[in-house]
Amino acid sequence: MIAQARTDTISMKIYPNSSVAIQELKKLLLDRDKTFWPALVKLTTSAATFNQLITLSTMRKKAVKLGLNGSSDRLIDPIKMGLIGGSMLYPLSDLLEHMMTVTVGKARILTGDYNNYRSEILEAASALYEFQPDFVIVLPDDQSCKYTGRLNDPEEMVEAEIDRVSSDLLQLCSIIRERSAAEVLLCNFILPSAIDLGPLRAKSLASDWSFRKAVNLRLGTKAPNYVHVCDLEFLAYRLGGLTAKDDRSWFESKQLCSPALQVALAKEIAHLIGSLTKSPKKVLALDLDNTLWGGVIGDDGIKGIEIGDTSPKGEAFKAFQSYILSLTERGLLLAVCSKNDFDNAIEPFREHPEMVLREGHFVSFKANWEPKAQNLIQMADELNLGLDSFIFVDDNPAEVENVRQFTPEVTSILLDPDPSAYVRQLQESRLFERFNITGEDLQRTEQYREEATRRNLLASAVDMDSYLSSLEMAGTFREFNPIDLPRIAQLINKSNQFNLTTRRRSEAELAALMSDQRYTGFSMRLSDRFGDHGLISVVICLRNDDASLEIDTWLMSCRVLKRQVEEQVLNEIVRTARVNGCRLITGVYLPTAKNQMVSDLYARLGFEPVNVTTERSEYSLLAETFSAKPTFISTVSRPD
Amino acid sequence: METTRDEVFSRLQTIFDELFLDEVVVTPELSAKDVEEWDSLMHISLVVSVEERFGIRFRVGEVEATRNAGEFVNLIFDRLGGSHV
Repeated sequence: MIAQARTDTISMKIYPNSSVAIQELKKLLLDRDKTFWPALVKLTTSAATFNQLITLSTMRKKAVKLGLNGSSDRLIDPIKMGLIGGSMLYPLSDLLEHMMTVTVGKARILTGDYNNYRSEILEAASALYEFQPDFVIVLPDDQSCKYTGRLNDPEEMVEAEIDRVSSDLLQLCSIIRERSAAEVLLCNFILPSAIDLGPLRAKSLASDWSFRKAVNLRLGTKAPNYVHVCDLEFLAYRLGGLTAKDDRSWFESKQLCSPALQVALAKEIAHLIGSLTKSPKKVLALDLDNTLWGGVIGDDGIKGIEIGDTSPKGEAFKAFQSYILSLTERGLLLAVCSKNDFDNAIEPFREHPEMVLREGHFVSFKANWEPKAQNLIQMADELNLGLDSFIFVDDNPAEVENVRQFTPEVTSILLDPDPSAYVRQLQESRLFERFNITGEDLQRTEQYREEATRRNLLASAVDMDSYLSSLEMAGTFREFNPIDLPRIAQLINKSNQFNLTTRRRSEAELAALMSDQRYTGFSMRLSDRFGDHGLISVVICLRNDDASLEIDTWLMSCRVLKRQVEEQVLNEIVRTARVNGCRLITGVYLPTAKNQMVSDLYARLGFEPVNVTTERSEYSLLAETFSAKPTFISTVSRPD
Repeated sequence: METTRDEVFSRLQTIFDELFLDEVVVTPELSAKDVEEWDSLMHISLVVSVEERFGIRFRVGEVEATRNAGEFVNLIFDRLGGSHV
């Protein structure tokens, strides 16, 4: 039941009017209706405010008294949690108990006394250890994370104190570990939102703001694997600093933070413990049509689907693919589960230049007309994995329903109708988070470190060449083709600045030009180690009757300026001339109000001026004596 | 138009109706010990609700000092800027 509930929450929107929903839930409770508990689970996961959660918690307790929870988990051992810290831990403990019971499973919480965590940890015979907790949550108070010296103390002194405070806390965690074998959740510090100190706040390491930031960073990077940082700094930031703290409740009842942040904190702790107690997801099984691209491949064909930089929608799908690809770096396996003919389904992965995901990224590729649940069962069997390690993603409610009914172990995500929300939706499912860096990651990190050292040695002086070389740029040239055509037409009709002739052509005109023997059109794509820039340059060459090659069109997207793309494109133009048996290359610059940027391009690249006027400048270059311009772009050329 | 003390009482009753599962009639003499559900958690919830609904903010320590619903209503009334009759 719990797995099912969790699945539901992912696709569920926040209740349009949760106070109405809560009143309805109250009715269910008073009627002793069996649907009370599932409805409670739904409302709890979407509850946004302190009051809603408290009300739900009160109802839960009442329901348990009435025997309405009805699940058989009374036999299961509860998860035992010790909550200790430097502030009053009630009502946080109550919120936490509610979140745990409803979203994770049976839990028992031992709540520590106000600001007594040190002795609870240090005394071997404390109630904490007697309780034999599975998890200990340490919530230190802000007051203990303060530099007590002067604002203008030397940085080394403050650094030493940062070290002391952070290693002291980690030391406490290691004692907990030794004495209880519990996993430790260590909450870091909320940054102060006081405006006081002004400019000095950021300038002095000794200010509360800088000091706590530094301690938080240290806690995160130095924490051993059994310590999981509960990032209270981030939660408070996400909520807003002024909303996160409540001075009045500190003075009145020693509350660490505002009710709103307590809700976020309780949810976060329950989420962390839930993830730690469940086995991680291993496979992401994806639908294709309207999930990885816009449109239906079987109907629209490879030229008709929307993917890539041609349209906003295409860009959104591309971004979604990039995010999915990044998940493989966290160890997730990818699979396709689509209702399609295999040949249609595989084609974009093999042929479409804008696809980020490629055939080789998938461990299983099911494109057929069988029910998706059946495909998932088969996949699990082939990969020798449990169905509960699968996540299934689809935009079609009927398919998601099929999977939920027949393979409830699989966690299903029903995508929002808007593809620009896909990435956020996957992120908010929180199924892809990882706790620790693995041994393999560390090994890779080691390699990177060596590489970085080597690079630093090579490039002790910052210069353009070492920068360009560090980008690891890769260029691909392709002849015009139907799939690229929309993007090419878009660039031809939109580029103004890096555009030598500003000749506009429609997609139809370009298609006609492609079948004209006298023209050669090619495009260039560029990627570097930070990502893919996509199709960024377009050239059209015309072979004249006198066997000269005229550069009819040459344009480039300005986002790759100063990357040596021009030089690389020129190399390709000269190669085109040679392949076509042309000795002479001519280029024209037609000035407009916007293309001043390329007025001297030909001259800069070594062309000879032939006829230069204010309306039109013509240049030429001899193909045979040209030696290729050296660049830092490794390229894949077109076939001759 | 100025809110009357009676109006404050009736709005407080609505909040009680939403928060408590059991029916609780708000009278001036009512206090936490009279209601089983009214624990400290519910109390926080009540204060947060009242501040939200009435658009007011209590000062440090003053809610704690009220001994029953009547005094609580007086406090709300004060914070609304009303004058005692």
